[in-house]
Amino acid sequence: MDAIDKKILDLIQTDFPLDPRPYARIGEQFGLTEAEALARVRALKGKGIIRRIGANFQSRKLGWTSTLCAAQVPEDKLDLFTAEVNRHPGVTHNYLRQHMYNVWFTMIAPGVDKVRETLAEITAKTGIEILNLPAEKTYKIKVDFPMAENEQD
Amino acid sequence: MSTANITKNFSNAEQAALRLLQADIPDTERPYQEIAEQTGLTETAVLRLLQDLKEQGVVRRFGATLRHQQAGYGANAMVAWFVEQDRDLDEVGKIMAQRPEITHCYQRVNCYAWPYNLYTMVHARSREECMDVVEQLARIARVPQYDILFSRKELKKTSMAYF
Repeated sequence: MDAIDKKILDLIQTDFPLDPRPYARIGEQFGLTEAEALARVRALKGKGIIRRIGANFQSRKLGWTSTLCAAQVPEDKLDLFTAEVNRHPGVTHNYLRQHMYNVWFTMIAPGVDKVRETLAEITAKTGIEILNLPAEKTYKIKVDFPMAENEQD
Repeated sequence: MSTANITKNFSNAEQAALRLLQADIPDTERPYQEIAEQTGLTETAVLRLLQDLKEQGVVRRFGATLRHQQAGYGANAMVAWFVEQDRDLDEVGKIMAQRPEITHCYQRVNCYAWPYNLYTMVHARSREECMDVVEQLARIARVPQYDILFSRKELKKTSMAYF
């Protein structure tokens, strides 16, 4: 990853061009041809640095609800619990963490009732209680990782 | 639009386009043209749909999502903070949100078993850097009671399929 790659990443994390020829627009900014810009983005995908390019929705504005959940899962039930939780398409993130509450996952569903119902179902199947911690206020979501400013180190 | 599913407001062709846009756009010089061809919309209609949804805030961000470990941000921690009742939670939340290392900051419901009411995600290049940020924030925002939860393993990470 060179300096231009980093600048491209900074640009396309925040705003991928909404233009019929997005790679031509990206290229213009860094003195590259359309083909060169596309090749660089492809290479960054190939290396696994870019996971995907697409839309990130604000679930609430689509009428969906989201929450953070936590559970204390004993080691011998971890596989069962993880499988049961991950089965649900609304579970988008799930992490094993170093804590008494060791499993933390997010869930998106069409409504609060659906969240409660799904969590109750997981508890019924696994015998594990789940904390349901919906957000009351969002102060920040900014998942752009600045790349170019890291160059010096 | 409380619990109703807003997807009803989109035509079948728009929903088909959104199904592609919520995933990974086609790897070609003209991705919007490709989406148009696959869904029966025009390229202009695809671009306008996306532009409108961005302006309405329905699409929070349209762009590349990185694998942050590969991008040099190898460490992340979730911090659960307990902000005392006599404090202004909004003020504390905004102080924390100002830090660039904080990618997410929420006020959340708490309960007797779990009294923490403010949550932050910290992304940095090392665990030490995460710890530094957390210690500084605890001091600046005057919130001495918190729990740091480092991740041991990613069990699932996907993007939501709304359409």
